[in-house]
Amino acid sequence: MALLLQGCTTKRPTERALKIRWAHDPENLDPLALANQTAIDALYLLNCSLLQADFTTNRFAPALAEALPSVRFLGDSLMQLQYTIRPEATWDTGRPVLATDVAFTLKLMFCPGLPTEAPSSQYRFIREILLDPRNPRRFTFVCTSQAVEYVQASGDFFVLPEAVLDPRGAMRRFTLAELQRRPATAAPNAVLQAVARRYTAATPGQTPARLPGCGPYQLVKWEKDRYLRFRRKPHWWADRVRPRPFTLQARPARLDYVIVPDAATASLALQRGDIDVFPQMPTREFTRLRQASTTRSNLNFYATASYDVVTVGFNTRHPALSDALTRQALAHCIDAAGILKGTELGQGQRTVGLVSPTDRLNYNDSLAPVPFDPAGAAALLRRAGWQRGAAAADGWQRNGAHGPQQLRLVMRYRADEQLFATIALQFQAAAASIGVPVSLQPTESGAFSMALRSGEFDMYVRALRGNPFMFNFTSFLHSQAIGAGNTLGYGSPRSDQLIEAIAAASTVQRRAQLLRQFQALMQQEMPLLPLFFLSNHIAAQKRLVDLHPTSLKPGFAAMAIGEAAAPSTSP
Amino acid sequence: MIALAVPHLFRTPSWAVAWLGFLMLVAAVAPVLPLPYPPHTLDLAHIAQAPLAPGQHWLGTDAQGRDVLSLLVFGTRTAVLLTLPAALLAAVIGALLGSAAGFWGNRARVDISYGVVAVGSVWWALRLPTPWLGGLAAALGLAGIATSGRRRRNVAFRLPLDALVTGAVTALDTVPRLVLVVALAAGAGSISPAGLLVLLTLTSWTTPARLVRAQMLRIRTLPFVEAAQAAGVPAWRVWLKHSIPHAINPLKTLFPLSLARLLGLESTLSFLGIGLPPEAASWGRLMVSYRQEPSAWWLFLFPTIMLIITILSLNSLTRPPK
Repeated sequence: MALLLQGCTTKRPTERALKIRWAHDPENLDPLALANQTAIDALYLLNCSLLQADFTTNRFAPALAEALPSVRFLGDSLMQLQYTIRPEATWDTGRPVLATDVAFTLKLMFCPGLPTEAPSSQYRFIREILLDPRNPRRFTFVCTSQAVEYVQASGDFFVLPEAVLDPRGAMRRFTLAELQRRPATAAPNAVLQAVARRYTAATPGQTPARLPGCGPYQLVKWEKDRYLRFRRKPHWWADRVRPRPFTLQARPARLDYVIVPDAATASLALQRGDIDVFPQMPTREFTRLRQASTTRSNLNFYATASYDVVTVGFNTRHPALSDALTRQALAHCIDAAGILKGTELGQGQRTVGLVSPTDRLNYNDSLAPVPFDPAGAAALLRRAGWQRGAAAADGWQRNGAHGPQQLRLVMRYRADEQLFATIALQFQAAAASIGVPVSLQPTESGAFSMALRSGEFDMYVRALRGNPFMFNFTSFLHSQAIGAGNTLGYGSPRSDQLIEAIAAASTVQRRAQLLRQFQALMQQEMPLLPLFFLSNHIAAQKRLVDLHPTSLKPGFAAMAIGEAAAPSTSP
Repeated sequence: MIALAVPHLFRTPSWAVAWLGFLMLVAAVAPVLPLPYPPHTLDLAHIAQAPLAPGQHWLGTDAQGRDVLSLLVFGTRTAVLLTLPAALLAAVIGALLGSAAGFWGNRARVDISYGVVAVGSVWWALRLPTPWLGGLAAALGLAGIATSGRRRRNVAFRLPLDALVTGAVTALDTVPRLVLVVALAAGAGSISPAGLLVLLTLTSWTTPARLVRAQMLRIRTLPFVEAAQAAGVPAWRVWLKHSIPHAINPLKTLFPLSLARLLGLESTLSFLGIGLPPEAASWGRLMVSYRQEPSAWWLFLFPTIMLIITILSLNSLTRPPK
């Protein structure tokens, strides 16, 4: 009887790991490089930023900062943002998180010899940081313009510990502006070299424990391509914050991110209970499980809109794809509407650009989506100077500046993505119908990223993840980012100008106007073709509560998840 | 090789011969068959549709909207065009190497020019450092062969042919075939159908070689071979004209089995997503698409039936006649 009663108690396991499916390995957990979305998700467990997304309100909210920054305009071109770090915030060593750490992190973004291409372009708008001599936790950012985005963007980076990387504070002798202005050809500086050496020696990309952040979790095990195990810090500084804001929630004692590339395998694992949460579940599988009585009783299903847009990109460095007309022609071979209806069961939204159609202010609704029209594609190819050979096997040829060109394409996509495979097969069939041979190369996730970086593709299919707060396209469409995040190799004076103007727009209305122009320009230049925004589908075990499904990435709040109390048997 | 197998066919169950003949016919005429949908066309309005549902997809569609009937027909073509040449090539290579190893053992003496041609060709074919050197060596070797008739004495070396062949066979057989093919395919990255054909052949010649070598060890001691040698018939002629026809007898039984094994291997590789390009129709790939649509039983059932009947038919060809 005693055993029976013991078995019926509602005691909750304390060390039970919450297992979440990831489709691929993060590859690199460097807080400066931010390799991919899974890496960013992991880094949010290990680090803290001043502001973080609050999934209950879908807005940015204070995390490491005490409150949202106070804004002060200087004249008509500068803006000051004043932050104060929470007094409870400390590193694992017990040292407080100070304004000097924030200043150090910003300077690190401009330190030569580090993977800083993306952050240095993203945070260049912070011209200077002014430390408050009376309060070591208070500081002020001086921003180069009065852009509406800067308030949120200024707090969206991981703060790193100065004491670990620069224990003597040698970087303090440089101002932020000096580092930003420092030419790439400048003579090496011993201080900067020493910091870069220490950072590289810490290898934070592979061993984040050597550069501990002030986030709630520590990485205890990383089996490449298998799983990452995080354990909550027993005495995390935010445990002392009362009342605890949503951005500082960290409920699961252990988080295991299990790498299961194949969606069908992941679905079986979810049904068996081997994983607890399956985010970004393919639509058809999500619908099937939701309708099945066997799974309905064990799983909860959540669906929200998302800011993930499926795109087809063109390598504009490829001579055959260097002109907009050819890219436009090929875009006419993709049946986005049919794919959305067939594979996504219509759950998702067609789009004309990188802005979500739900964002009525910024979305350019005067543009029409590119139609599926192979005959029109052939006509456009002729306008682009291509001529079809006499025999069907000859394909399309033209004389370019560097000799004759042949229109033969290689399309890459992640091998484990069924949706991307369908898009690629549909495009291949449509292109073949007008005589354009396309060879498909489904590529493993890590190799895919490398192929994109090294330009070993003509076209790709992938999803880009966005958010409703910021519209900074610098890192992947600006000509300055060619060779780094701009894998398309695209850039023109007009697009660069628009990208910079959007990032610096001082009013929401002005930004909307520029965004609409930018969408029109992108449709005309066609470096990439946005097809549709996906729906966010999450399936989770029924015992889990407080997932807070959201349109923001990663689609749910892993750190807020709890377990429902088991029903009590006591009368 | 077909000539060896054909007389045997007429003594085997008629249903097996009929089925295999039907497959060969389908493979040959697949491009001109009046199929309602070509295999590469995606019917996005009817994804994972059940058989006989509206939309003229008699056997339904797969998880990407491709017509299952067309995929089965063109999958047959892929199976025939890939496994039949691979089995034939493997049998020919295995027969030549195995019989040579059995006939000459480790006593073969080879003109140095032949060795230079072989090493130079391999060097050039594998694109080893400065591949033109390999080409040059092969050309010099060929020139040496051409002038060898005029020389009084040729430089020759002793080639341990039997040790080389049995060593290669043992080395390849120690690694499970599937693991070997998967490793080679993964190492090569993306692989074309022709590349897959080469891969299947290179990993399949060992069994024929082993059998033919064993047979040749017996045949070379038979009186008619000794008589031919005593009569002054050149060794290569005794090997090719008199010994090989007897030594390859076991291949009559082995060939259908080899075909069945290759068919299974091709389906397994396609199931694992290795080898054939994504647009190539294959029974194995059709089977694996069932994982994306677990309710679409037809994606598993139809290719499985095709595979089972074909392998049973091939196996029945190896049974002794009643």
